[in-house]
Amino acid sequence: MLILTRRPGERVVIGDEILVTVMGVSGHTVRLGIAAPEGIPIYREEIWLAVMEENRAAAEANVDALPAEKPAPPTERSSAPDAGDTAAQALERPQKPG
Amino acid sequence: MSVTFQSIRFGTVEIAQEDVIEFPFGLIGLGGLQYTLLDHNPGSGFHWLHAVDNAALALPVVSPYQFFPSFTLEIAAEDRERTGIEDTTGAELYVTVRATPNPADITANLRAPLLVRDGRGYQVINTNADAALQVPLFALPTQERIAS
Repeated sequence: MLILTRRPGERVVIGDEILVTVMGVSGHTVRLGIAAPEGIPIYREEIWLAVMEENRAAAEANVDALPAEKPAPPTERSSAPDAGDTAAQALERPQKPG
Repeated sequence: MSVTFQSIRFGTVEIAQEDVIEFPFGLIGLGGLQYTLLDHNPGSGFHWLHAVDNAALALPVVSPYQFFPSFTLEIAAEDRERTGIEDTTGAELYVTVRATPNPADITANLRAPLLVRDGRGYQVINTNADAALQVPLFALPTQERIAS
């Protein structure tokens, strides 16, 4: 691992297109500004690790580990949707391949 | 035109070309650049987000609105720029599911939903503080009845 010492306002350049700026240091907290080409995802490590773990766990599923049908839903979920719910449902257009 | 791919779960699968979803950045930690949505069992609410280019790569997904009526998505400015999706109206939204044999233990990841629009898909971070990584998909009906 490359280890560099930088002061607030100084930068590190990664490749030709990624700029990391030390915005400020306060106690144990460092604020970083990151300029990267549009499209490069940037995550805080803990959320990246957590989502990766969830994705990998999800991808281990066997077909028979999913219920063939929905278990009996609680009554509030089977009741008629209110206005907010209708707006939400309008976002959903599941594809039906095949 | 159709696309045929192999699946360790479903054998040979044939889909329409327009049902291929490009994920320019793949899924976090899993990659995969092309996926499609297959129905699990009609009426179950489950779908499989299946990689077209990897026979073993598939994740169960559901529409969050179908299981979590109060679900809301808030995405950070950088995700809006990256995906080009400023307004999620008209986008399909899915969340990944951790499957287990006991339905009560099945959870959905509301923190990192999948946005699909115009044949492109992105996994984004939901910055809504209520969106947890593991939310039980099925509330226990018995508890509801006791409560009422």
